[in-house]
Amino acid sequence: MSHLSKAITINGDLESDGELQIYGNVRGQICADRLVIGPGGFLEGDVIARDVHIEGRLEGRIFALNVTLDSAAEVNGRIFHNTITVAKGARIDARMPWRPPSYFETLETLPEARQ
Amino acid sequence: MSMFNRNDNKETDVSAPDKPRDVTSASVAAMPKPVQPAAAPAPDLSAAKSAGPSVISKALKITGQLESTEDIRIDGEIEGDIHGVAVTVGSGAKVKGSVYGQTVELAGTIEGKIEAKKVILTSTAHMSGDVIHQDIRIESGAYIDGHCRPGTNKTEYKPTVKPN
Repeated sequence: MSHLSKAITINGDLESDGELQIYGNVRGQICADRLVIGPGGFLEGDVIARDVHIEGRLEGRIFALNVTLDSAAEVNGRIFHNTITVAKGARIDARMPWRPPSYFETLETLPEARQ
Repeated sequence: MSMFNRNDNKETDVSAPDKPRDVTSASVAAMPKPVQPAAAPAPDLSAAKSAGPSVISKALKITGQLESTEDIRIDGEIEGDIHGVAVTVGSGAKVKGSVYGQTVELAGTIEGKIEAKKVILTSTAHMSGDVIHQDIRIESGAYIDGHCRPGTNKTEYKPTVKPN
């Protein structure tokens, strides 16, 4: 499990086979098995993951089978998902297209690049 | 009553009657206030967890620049520069780029440069590039291909990326 504390700032792409927790600032594309954006965390960029859990801020696109948005979440962009849970209070300014599970299986690179 | 009120108190009353075909409204009514994420159990994200050192695990590969005002431990692969306070590069870790910090401890591989006040190269270290230091320790078995030279006092950390 990787942990990026609130003191960290990353400019670049991240690729992980495991869990990734972000409490700091990241600008770039992320590929991970499971991504957690903790409270105070901020991501500007796109995410491809199996599970995404957000309690911080995200500006970009999510491509994930399971998405959970906590009440503190702030999301701006698009959420391609198969299952999604949104807590009361989450601030979401996003389109949320549903996709079948097969769509995510072959997802290695960003497919729908048009904004 | 307006439809568009935020019914903070009586959401359970409202959701039940006039939504006939909505399957989820039943589960919403059954599970009133705290909306628990269903797909994955929520990790314990207490405030204390946001602090502490950053850990780049073995499974993580980063292409880009890292900057931290706290400690960093690296066990994965990084292509890019690293700015930290105490930077530990574990055995098995690979860094292509410069590593800046107060203290840099190397047990893995760096292709690039180390610039730190205190540098420790352990027995499994593989260093290709220059080491600029004020204080260095090289253990027996460490590989080093590059110049070691005492640095100027300009190892001050200057963040170039503004936090958002």
